[in-house]
Amino acid sequence: MLSRRTLIVQLPALALAGSYAVRAFGADKSVTVGINLPLTGADAQAATKIKQGAQLAFDEANAAGGVAGYKVNLLVLDDGTATAGQYDPAQAATNARKMVSDSSVVAAIGPQMSGSGKAMSPILSQGNLAIITPASTNPDITNPKMAAQYRPAGKAVYFRTVTTDAYQGPNMANYYADTLKVKSVYVLDDSGAFGVGIADSFQTQAEKRGIKVLGRDQLNPKEADYTTILTKIKPMNADAIYYGGVAQAGVKLAKQSYDILPKLIKGGGDGMHSTDLLSGAGFPAAEGWYVTIAAPHVLDKPEVAAWAKRFQDKFGGPPEDYSITAYDAGLVIIDAIKRVAAAGKEVNRNNVRDAIQASKVNTLQGEVSFDENGDITNRVVSVFQIRKDDKYPLNDTIHQYKYVGVAPASS
Amino acid sequence: MAGRDRAAPRRGTIGAETFAFLWRASPVQWIAPHWRPRVAVALVTLAALVFPVLHRNDADIDSAANALAYAALALGLNIVVGFAGLLDLGYAAFFAIGAYTYGAFASFQIEPSWSPFWQPFEALGLVAHIGDVVHFTVSFWLMLPVSALVAALFGVLFGAPTLRLKGDYLAIVTLGFGEIVPIVARNTPSVTNGAMGLNGVAAPQLFGWSFGVDATPYYYVGVALVAVLIFASGRLKSSRIGRAWMAIREDEIAAAAMGVNRVKFKLLAFAIGAAFAGATGTYFVAKLQTATPEMFMFPVSVMILVMIVFGGIGSIWGVVVGALILQMLQSWFLQDLSQWLHALGRLLDVQWLQQIELVQSIEMIFGLILVTMMLYRRQGLIPATRNVRALTMAEQTAQVELAAPPPVERLRGDFTYCGPDPLLAINDLTVRFGGLVALRAVALTVPARSVVAVIGPNGSGKSTLFNAVTGLVTPESGSVQFAGYPIERLPPHVVLGRGMARTFQNIRLFPNLTVLENVMIGMHARLHAGVPGALLHLPRTRREEAEAREHCREILALFGNRLTPRADHVVSSLSYANRRRVEIARALASSPKLLLLDEPTAGMNPAETLELAGQIKSLHGHGLSIVLIEHKLDVVVSLADNVVVLDHGEKIAEGPPDVVRRNEEVIRAYLGRSASLGNAPQESAPRGSAAIA
Amino acid sequence: MTTEALYLQQIINGLSLGAMYALLALGFTLVYGILELINFAHFNVFMVASFIGMWALELLGLSGQGVILTGFALVGALAFGFVVTMVLAGLLGVAVERIALRPMRAVRGTAAMITTIGVSYILFNAVLLTVGADSKNYPNPMPDMHWDIGGATLRLREVLIWGVALVLMAGLHLFVNRTRLGKAMRATAQDAEAARMMGIDVDRVIITAFFLGSALAGAAALIFGLYYNYTSFIIGYSAGLRAFTAAVLGGIGSVTGAMVGGILIGLIEALGGQIVSVRWDDVIIFSILVLVLVFAPSGLFGRPSATRS
Repeated sequence: MLSRRTLIVQLPALALAGSYAVRAFGADKSVTVGINLPLTGADAQAATKIKQGAQLAFDEANAAGGVAGYKVNLLVLDDGTATAGQYDPAQAATNARKMVSDSSVVAAIGPQMSGSGKAMSPILSQGNLAIITPASTNPDITNPKMAAQYRPAGKAVYFRTVTTDAYQGPNMANYYADTLKVKSVYVLDDSGAFGVGIADSFQTQAEKRGIKVLGRDQLNPKEADYTTILTKIKPMNADAIYYGGVAQAGVKLAKQSYDILPKLIKGGGDGMHSTDLLSGAGFPAAEGWYVTIAAPHVLDKPEVAAWAKRFQDKFGGPPEDYSITAYDAGLVIIDAIKRVAAAGKEVNRNNVRDAIQASKVNTLQGEVSFDENGDITNRVVSVFQIRKDDKYPLNDTIHQYKYVGVAPASS
Repeated sequence: MAGRDRAAPRRGTIGAETFAFLWRASPVQWIAPHWRPRVAVALVTLAALVFPVLHRNDADIDSAANALAYAALALGLNIVVGFAGLLDLGYAAFFAIGAYTYGAFASFQIEPSWSPFWQPFEALGLVAHIGDVVHFTVSFWLMLPVSALVAALFGVLFGAPTLRLKGDYLAIVTLGFGEIVPIVARNTPSVTNGAMGLNGVAAPQLFGWSFGVDATPYYYVGVALVAVLIFASGRLKSSRIGRAWMAIREDEIAAAAMGVNRVKFKLLAFAIGAAFAGATGTYFVAKLQTATPEMFMFPVSVMILVMIVFGGIGSIWGVVVGALILQMLQSWFLQDLSQWLHALGRLLDVQWLQQIELVQSIEMIFGLILVTMMLYRRQGLIPATRNVRALTMAEQTAQVELAAPPPVERLRGDFTYCGPDPLLAINDLTVRFGGLVALRAVALTVPARSVVAVIGPNGSGKSTLFNAVTGLVTPESGSVQFAGYPIERLPPHVVLGRGMARTFQNIRLFPNLTVLENVMIGMHARLHAGVPGALLHLPRTRREEAEAREHCREILALFGNRLTPRADHVVSSLSYANRRRVEIARALASSPKLLLLDEPTAGMNPAETLELAGQIKSLHGHGLSIVLIEHKLDVVVSLADNVVVLDHGEKIAEGPPDVVRRNEEVIRAYLGRSASLGNAPQESAPRGSAAIA
Repeated sequence: MTTEALYLQQIINGLSLGAMYALLALGFTLVYGILELINFAHFNVFMVASFIGMWALELLGLSGQGVILTGFALVGALAFGFVVTMVLAGLLGVAVERIALRPMRAVRGTAAMITTIGVSYILFNAVLLTVGADSKNYPNPMPDMHWDIGGATLRLREVLIWGVALVLMAGLHLFVNRTRLGKAMRATAQDAEAARMMGIDVDRVIITAFFLGSALAGAAALIFGLYYNYTSFIIGYSAGLRAFTAAVLGGIGSVTGAMVGGILIGLIEALGGQIVSVRWDDVIIFSILVLVLVFAPSGLFGRPSATRS
């Protein structure tokens, strides 16, 4: 009994000893970046693409001789659990503590889900460890009104390389009104935090802009049949539908709405900017969807195309939108470490956090900087339309999504 | 569950000798056996208390704190599934209810506008007002019991429609509620903030000090919570309430016939199980300071079930260990093991080692654990039923001593009926199953202190008569008067409470319980301990339990040395004749005025039959009235004052044994054309034993 | 689109859903009728079968909606798909029975059911870890034929679903009522012990029940894929749960009950979504289930044994 207990207590210590040993024998100096994503369960697919984006940034930096002489190790943690069957905020909190209690961790990337972010942020704040989310868009966490809850220690620790729901949904509502001349819309979401949030903010702005919101309903992402709701929408003679949510429900929605509501304008948020949508729904079902991403349009820039190729070569599959924001998050952290080292300061999490806060980094999506709450200052929302391009693989998000303009911000 | 497969070969005993050696060599041997459980509990408690001090990793402490929450949930589900045998596949619903109850009363979620109405609440510290809005600030410590209570109410609410359903239907309805609750949570954002998750849930405070985000204080609250729930589970299990639950689990009909109010105790199981989950939900949300509907979906319910199966259904320590192991496996050990392998990979510069993510296969691992456990170790890690020393050869072959008179003398007052005569009067009783008339206008009278035998061919309605009289079957018409009161519409447990107990033709004991437990369930209706008594061991309850135990041992002693040495044996391990005796003892434990015996000697050899007949006679001699269904005519003749003959659901004859055995119609109906009465009984004996073998 | 047409369309939708649920529910009910076992593995046998069907069609060179077949080619391709899917799904069901459930047969209580949950987890993760989490674009060679009926649209795929479901259910009905093995199944469902004594090979009956149930799930899976042009590792839970609800609603153990229950659940889902809201679908379905069980504890067509223990 006693010896077993000791062994259990010692195991993590051994693991730590292992990584110290690496530092001794590997590169001269190393730091660790934590990654927390729901790599198990229902969200595994998208999470893996995000992880690969981040990993690519650090692998490239390490291959180029490290970051200011430091080798960057990744501490990849999974906040998807079998217990929850998907992302699990309780595990996310545990993972945040793992990062905080490992003193070699200087910054982190993640989480994918806002529910996890809410559980992690207070812990990270106390540990003064900066995390950059490439995907979670619920505005509560960086809302200054809720600072006492989510950053009790004061400083911003929850940074984003995506804009929050506060922009993507409303800007698309403006685009619907101004460019697409939509007069009436039916709003759907996928019952997830991201989907509900973006659909809510779309709906509010759409009503403000005089678009008639004919109704609002919620899709169960685990269910296959959406014909009921689509049939219900059919006689309403709506101009458009707007869908807030990720591709899991989006694939089925695209397929079935193509059958039942072929003539409507269909649009969604960045959850629909996904290889899963292209390969799962396929053409012609996906054709014509308007999809926003919460970043300036960069995807047809030559360096991004080259990057996409590197990604494809390394991981055997095309990147997604959030692979880019994750890669950018990696670049921000790398840049911060470099600046800390260049300033002659110790590369620790306090200094790295301050450096991230002061970032002005050129990334795939352009220059990234953050406001005092951690939100990205560049709030451009770009609109794409899915148009089949036979010259490229049909699941290639870079080429099957055509840039059609910027979704205007609300004045 | 363990006892059911006792015949199955034990697999996976490799290394048994090694363990046996270690066991003999271990210091455990220095501790006196009856102290061992206490020492073990003390050691576990000590280990739990010093763990965060020795292991100062905040993440691992947090992981342990989460695991403790699941241990608490497992304890709650164990009450419902393990003790009461009610399969609940939507248990996470109560977890959610507890979580959102605290979430709603300790966050910024509900903010009614300020009015004088709130003033008293503000004075009590339950709300604060910020500007024009009311902000709920109910203390965590207050909300723990409140959430438990709210969840318990929902437990009753969800349990109520399921009461009439058997296991599998129950499972689907609970599953349905498990689906409904998170959907309601998601679709009522005004209370729950829907899919976005709660904001600003307050951390617990203790004397003005906030728990904040550090994992350690939550860990200790978790330890305390689990300790309290282990304690409560243990107290409940060994009480009158726990026995009633296990009786329902083992055999619902027999439980009802032994005086257990099924409705009440099933609902109680749901309520207490839900209360555990409610308190845990509050703990969990206070720790996490947010909650989303996704945290309470079907996989959570299944996982808690897996935990209790893994640990040992019904075993208190088993389910705790099961939950801790499985939860920490995924949140701590596998992650660390993966990291460790990555470090090793970096050290050796092996790429694939650096890529391994064991956690991603966790569900697969759980599935394999579940199936493997079910196939090879169904009783779980720590089985609920303990092994009892087998009887020595001497005890097994001991001379049969028949009942010593003293206990019977002491029990005389329990069995003697002193009310208006007759004790039982059945008039015009008709029972119909669909198109089949099982009993037609049957009349029967049992004078006080008499023995009435009911005979008749198979299928003549004898057992149906018992079922109708004891409330298991509702008669279509007719009246049943017992001790002067009509009882034909009363449920079985009330009938038993009035003083009528029975046995079953095909023995309905509680197979996985011990002899003593079986007999004590017979006393259920004579005892009064409720939940507070059981939990707090009030002096009254303790006295009652001790007296009950004593009483039951006296009842066992009625059967000489047949049952007394086997009091702690599981009844499924007993011989057929002993099981018959236990069933009679169980009925006697309820202190009946009238005992209904359904073929008590079926399957017994002549010597055993004679012995039992003697015991029945002595019971009768001490005041007990008896109705006896019996095929063995010599038994009938030797015991009965009066014989009633049924055929095709109708009474065809009645009278003293001698008269009835000469009745032509009886001979024709009962024996066929030409046989004589003396040869009849043998036919039925093999049937009885075949049904049991 | 008039209101009548709208409701007609929803009824068409509901009947299609219902036909799928009914086929899936039959698998629950066949196994339950004989073993009194809720088979949670059935959820993911269905899911695995949808992948089997997809690979079978891809074997014929069909992928996505790119290849459209007509006439005999279409009939032949579909027949091939159904036969392969049903046989392999049936064998999967039999394998589950042999490996995980047969050793549990003598065990009372919930042990066997819990084992099926474990098997379900294994199947689920075997697919997740091998074919991945992304949604699959299911091959569908059917031409886009549709008819206008009172303003509602009836598509070829709906006709196919109903046709296949009717044929399979009629076949099952004939099998159960007319063949020796079918009669043996009914006898075993009535009283396994007595059936064994009368010389019925109960093992064979159980294997048949698993094979047929899983094969019907296979048919439902292929129909599912063709109808939605979609499959994924997650489809088992939602569809399985509703089919299970359908089986209970109809009276688990009753073949007629499963068919009627399936159709009812399909209609409730479609009309409930139309009249109330899709977000409350599950709440509506389970509330109806609870109400039915409160007033008729053995379901609509069940034997009255549900309240007995």
